[in-house]
Amino acid sequence: MNNDYLDPINSLHMPELADTTLAMDLLMRAKEAVRNTAIAITEAATPELRLALRNQLRQELAMHKEVTELMVRKRWFHPYELSEQYKLDMLAANNTVKISGMNLYREDSSRKGMFYDTPDQHIGGEQA
Amino acid sequence: MTTRSQTLAAHESVDLHEMLNMKTLGLAKSKLLQGLVFDVELKALLQKDAELSAQSIANLQRLYAKAPFQAPVPPNRPTPILQGGGKDE
Repeated sequence: MNNDYLDPINSLHMPELADTTLAMDLLMRAKEAVRNTAIAITEAATPELRLALRNQLRQELAMHKEVTELMVRKRWFHPYELSEQYKLDMLAANNTVKISGMNLYREDSSRKGMFYDTPDQHIGGEQA
Repeated sequence: MTTRSQTLAAHESVDLHEMLNMKTLGLAKSKLLQGLVFDVELKALLQKDAELSAQSIANLQRLYAKAPFQAPVPPNRPTPILQGGGKDE
């Protein structure tokens, strides 16, 4: 993988690279949801709130289980073969660092004029 | 533990603030990422996560309305950008 974002070599395995990364994001969010909700329950005094959070926690535990199972089945996650997980972690880190070094976005991100009521306002003068 | 039905306690209300924002951002992300993933099963799971998050949000909003610091929610009306704006700030 080099710095030329147009070079096709960089798109090799890109679908799986994207999927493994985005699945890991979903897994992390599922874990955070469980942990945050569990903590919130321990701060909840009102019974109605405790019950709502408990039900939410149950749902979140089920989602976490489902995400984990999908990733293990797809061999995107190796809880038992940690040396496999080690390789994936390192590869993902390397690839992501490389991609982050690429110049992918336009300099001016304001998209001036695209979201105003009168789009030509920013031109000014008689064309506005 | 004396419980008052209507208004929530302070700590749990601030935690509800955190929880609602977590769910809102989770929903945004699960919706957005469906446009990026290739794997069909992963996309389906993101959709399921989005649906569950939306349900949780409705639930949490109902409870959050009982926070001691609740207030009327204005319609989503951004301050007019062109009022003095529009020029290169």
